[in-house]
Amino acid sequence: MLTAFFEEIPAFFTYYNGLFLLQAAMRTIGLSAIGCVVGFLLGFFWAIVRLLSGKATLPARLASILYVEFFRRVPFLVTLMIVFFACQVLKLGFSVFTVATISVCLIAASYTAEIVRAGFESVPLKQWEAAEVMNFTLAQKLRLIIIPQAWKVILPPAFSFFIAFIKDTALASQIGVIELTYVGKVLNNKGYSASLVFGTILILYFIISYPLARFGARMEKRLALSKH
Amino acid sequence: MNYTLHFGQVLQYVPYLVQGAWISFQIAFLAFLGGMVIGLMGATAKMFGGLWLRGLVNAYTAFFMNTPQLVQIYFFFFALPQAGILLGPYEAVLIGMTLNAGAYSAEIQRAGFLSVHKAELEAAETIGFSLLQTVWHVILPHICRVLFPPLSNHYIIMTLGTSMAAIFGVEELTGRAFNVNARTFRSIEIFTVTAGIYVLVTIVASFLLLLLGRWLFRVKGKIF
Repeated sequence: MLTAFFEEIPAFFTYYNGLFLLQAAMRTIGLSAIGCVVGFLLGFFWAIVRLLSGKATLPARLASILYVEFFRRVPFLVTLMIVFFACQVLKLGFSVFTVATISVCLIAASYTAEIVRAGFESVPLKQWEAAEVMNFTLAQKLRLIIIPQAWKVILPPAFSFFIAFIKDTALASQIGVIELTYVGKVLNNKGYSASLVFGTILILYFIISYPLARFGARMEKRLALSKH
Repeated sequence: MNYTLHFGQVLQYVPYLVQGAWISFQIAFLAFLGGMVIGLMGATAKMFGGLWLRGLVNAYTAFFMNTPQLVQIYFFFFALPQAGILLGPYEAVLIGMTLNAGAYSAEIQRAGFLSVHKAELEAAETIGFSLLQTVWHVILPHICRVLFPPLSNHYIIMTLGTSMAAIFGVEELTGRAFNVNARTFRSIEIFTVTAGIYVLVTIVASFLLLLLGRWLFRVKGKIF
């Protein structure tokens, strides 16, 4: 079995297969990068909405809580299916890549909202009260007092969540986005042996994810040191 | 846009879906338990193992934490038959999820071990605790309290992860949703109901874990 495996390797790593894999890897990275940036901004927005006070903003706060709790408790696959069929029914004519990006953004927003909220909560209450006493508006409080202290708490978990998301985008292959996992299935269907194809796909994911994970761990350590 | 939502057709399938949720729970629970065992061994090896053992376990956790669970299960499902190991969909998913959970929980448990302070051990020694007493009265309560929140969080994430089993044809909650979808073509309705069931199941799980944590280890926590 092993000799057959090694004999197949030169036939597998041809120029066009390589190109196919590379493009697919770029699409995986693109999907997660767009999702993370948009998701982070949206998540920040939801976390700030939850900080509002007063009766008038109660619906907004409730919406924030509902949004975050819903998308954090529904599997990515199910969200993907809901968005996919909703786009179909609304006749928006989106490509599958757009559909996948929308669902990635939706989910990333809910998780980052929680991370950002934890970051806000990590700032001591006295700081909030001092800002209140200075008669700062919410925007001033956040910009001058809270975010400069909270970002050190927010950044490491947000970063590791983004890395986790690179792997979760593998599920986008189920609606037909041509990213790494989908390419694995295509090449497998073409007749290359599954161990070779999926082994390669696993290694490619590892190559994308591992350096980022190491970078994140180092960043976390450095930020933890600078806190004291 | 001429689409009217018809939940009526879907609602008759709710019992069918809920039975699927039970299978999801089984997969998540078994994989979580298996992952805990692997994680305990892994964390012990990471802390106290020799150079080779540590390297091996580190490679295992790094590999499983940095590759998608879906592709890992693909590998078990499609590649292992080439080596003569035939796995059914349920077994492939269970093995894949267990190994994946093992890697994560090894990392989590190692962090828990590391959180025991030297001062605590010295204090235990000062009041004349034996090794067994130290483990029982000082180390275990501390580790349990530190580990409970991240592990229960991981359990919720794993419950969501079981939806992947649908891709391999296991008839758990998402798999059954696919079945009903093929039968009724009420896609949005069926997946919304499925999402609702997932939300309910995970909220119940969070709540039970919260109670368990309070009762056993006096862990403070909240669901929302």
